[in-house]
Amino acid sequence: MAQMNLVQAINDALRVEMKRDDRVVVMGEDVGRVGGVFRVTAGLWDEFGDDRVIDTPLSEGGILGTAIGMALYGLVPIPEIQFSDFIFPGYDQIVSELAKMRWRSGGEYAANMVIRTPVGGGIRGGLYHSQSPESLFIHVAGLKVVCPSNPHDAKGLLLASIRDPDPVLFFEPKRIYRAARGEVPEGDYTVDLSKAAVVREARPGHGKSKGGDRAVTILAWGAMLYEAIAAADQAAEQGIECEIVDLRTLWPLDLETITNSVKKTGRVIVVHEAPKTCGFGAELVALVNEHCFTSLEAPPVRVTGFDTPFPYTLEMDYLPLAHRILPAIVETARF
Amino acid sequence: MHAGPDPTAPSLESSASSGGADGVVDPAFRGALSDAVALYRHMVTLRLVSARMVDLQRSEKVAFHASCIGEEAVIAAAALAARPNDWIFPGVREWGAALVRGFPIADYMHHAFGSRTDAAKGHSPPDHPPARAYRVGPASGIAGAHLPQAVGAAWAAKIKKEDVATIAIFGEGATSSGDFHNAVNFAGVFKPAVVFVCRNDHREAFASTRERALAYGVASATVDGTDALEVLTVVRAALARAAEGKGATLIEAITHPIGAGSPALAKIHTDAWSRGGAELLSLGTEAHADPIARLRRVLEREKLLESGADEAIAKDVRAAIDAAVADAERAGPPATSTLFDDVYAEVPAHLRAQKESSPWRR
Repeated sequence: MAQMNLVQAINDALRVEMKRDDRVVVMGEDVGRVGGVFRVTAGLWDEFGDDRVIDTPLSEGGILGTAIGMALYGLVPIPEIQFSDFIFPGYDQIVSELAKMRWRSGGEYAANMVIRTPVGGGIRGGLYHSQSPESLFIHVAGLKVVCPSNPHDAKGLLLASIRDPDPVLFFEPKRIYRAARGEVPEGDYTVDLSKAAVVREARPGHGKSKGGDRAVTILAWGAMLYEAIAAADQAAEQGIECEIVDLRTLWPLDLETITNSVKKTGRVIVVHEAPKTCGFGAELVALVNEHCFTSLEAPPVRVTGFDTPFPYTLEMDYLPLAHRILPAIVETARF
Repeated sequence: MHAGPDPTAPSLESSASSGGADGVVDPAFRGALSDAVALYRHMVTLRLVSARMVDLQRSEKVAFHASCIGEEAVIAAAALAARPNDWIFPGVREWGAALVRGFPIADYMHHAFGSRTDAAKGHSPPDHPPARAYRVGPASGIAGAHLPQAVGAAWAAKIKKEDVATIAIFGEGATSSGDFHNAVNFAGVFKPAVVFVCRNDHREAFASTRERALAYGVASATVDGTDALEVLTVVRAALARAAEGKGATLIEAITHPIGAGSPALAKIHTDAWSRGGAELLSLGTEAHADPIARLRRVLEREKLLESGADEAIAKDVRAAIDAAVADAERAGPPATSTLFDDVYAEVPAHLRAQKESSPWRR
């Protein structure tokens, strides 16, 4: 198997599907000749040409509005929004049109497409190149939301997203575009949507028992998964076990994997970059309370970005990095 | 009409018209005469359906209606101009395009009532008819949102090398939207086979549509939107031009609304309907002709309709509407469980849980 980073794995997925299905077109700002600002679409224009790898004018509303029209006609467009911070000029086409297309027509129309967009901070991008707007899309009925954390999942989830009959927001954690490396199978494979992965299991004998060693479930995705792992390593030195769930698909949610883990540990921490209030963590905590209330040994905790715009200079203080997750683990375990 | 800035744009004499006081048809539009009777029937259908919907809304049988009274020539002629494989992208006020394409009045009324027979399962308010089988795109409640979609569909046809055009119809209010800019700008850049038909009934202040077309580098034309034969002729010319790969045309059709806010409103009453509806087909004023009366004069002068045939058309349409309304009223609402249909292709777990755990009203 080839070693790839996230960028290469996503590029590979696009190439695999464009070869397999001639309805697939890639479009966006500088995705063609330039190959994308992050090089995710590099080489596709040379291989597939103008009609299938389209450089568009700088207008997210125009990109998404015309992509929806293409999808209604029977193509499978994959528009790239250069940064997820730029998605808002096209937000109406997503929320009012794309998400509601199937429902408002009683299933007559559907727009099968994947919107790819880099997400998250830690690249010194400031407030318009760093945000994590996932909860604004999870809240809209009709959309699916995916955020991979590693190259293997990124390729398999993107292939599954393109073949899914519903519109998918595919958020790519840009902080780990090149840092996340791993083995990626050649050719075609998919990773099921709405299946979370337990990336670190609490060792046997660790759980909610107050007598034995305690364990904490951490829910994370994208770039913050690695911060959760780093914090868990440090917690282990203090005798606290962490079970880490990589959500992978944020919506629809794999609730079963989450509740199975929380019922085992009795403790849960959600980590995300987006602001705390009404962030996805709020929904996750509410679901845990609804489904695992009698199993809980401690109040669920959110370690998140602050309720401020995303900062330029102080971004490492804003992000919920390992140094902020570790105290939450310790407090939750000792509660 | 006036020729657009593109020298290859359709060009006709600016004084040309049809159906003036004497019913004379300018030679430029005589080619459309073979469709005049069909056009007349469609326009009468749109008028009478809209008048009935105004009544149904007043009596609170339906919650919403976008009247097209006075705009029938533009909507019916633009829809009739489309070739069988072409797609039409209407706004909410252009629901009549679906009827012209064959969407039955019965289905329209089931949709308007949100009945259990409505293909959209009562998910959408009236005038968003689910008419995909007739190659009519989905209308949006957001003015102008359908315009970039019409461009995208035509663009997809171009990518697939299929000889299919799209016709986007909208009111001039939508020309102030960002979606209008995106649509015409992308059309100017990528030259898909799309024809924009803008009904301009001067409800809103706006810059000249044709001057905007010049800025975007697309062809344009201004037509009299009460002259059905002119609209049909010019939209067809724009489609032919698009089929030759010459790109988009923006057509501005000048109309005069006879619906809400106009003196003729008083005539659109339940009494008018119960008296047989004939007066609903002559709503013009001295200053502004009724497009239906105008086309009727052409049909009479050209002897395309036998005496009394126009009344027979109106009677037929009226009967179809009465039957459709009765049927839709009788059908009742869709099953509660359909609320959860079509959010996604398959009902996901969280929606299944909500569906199964809610106490229902009935």
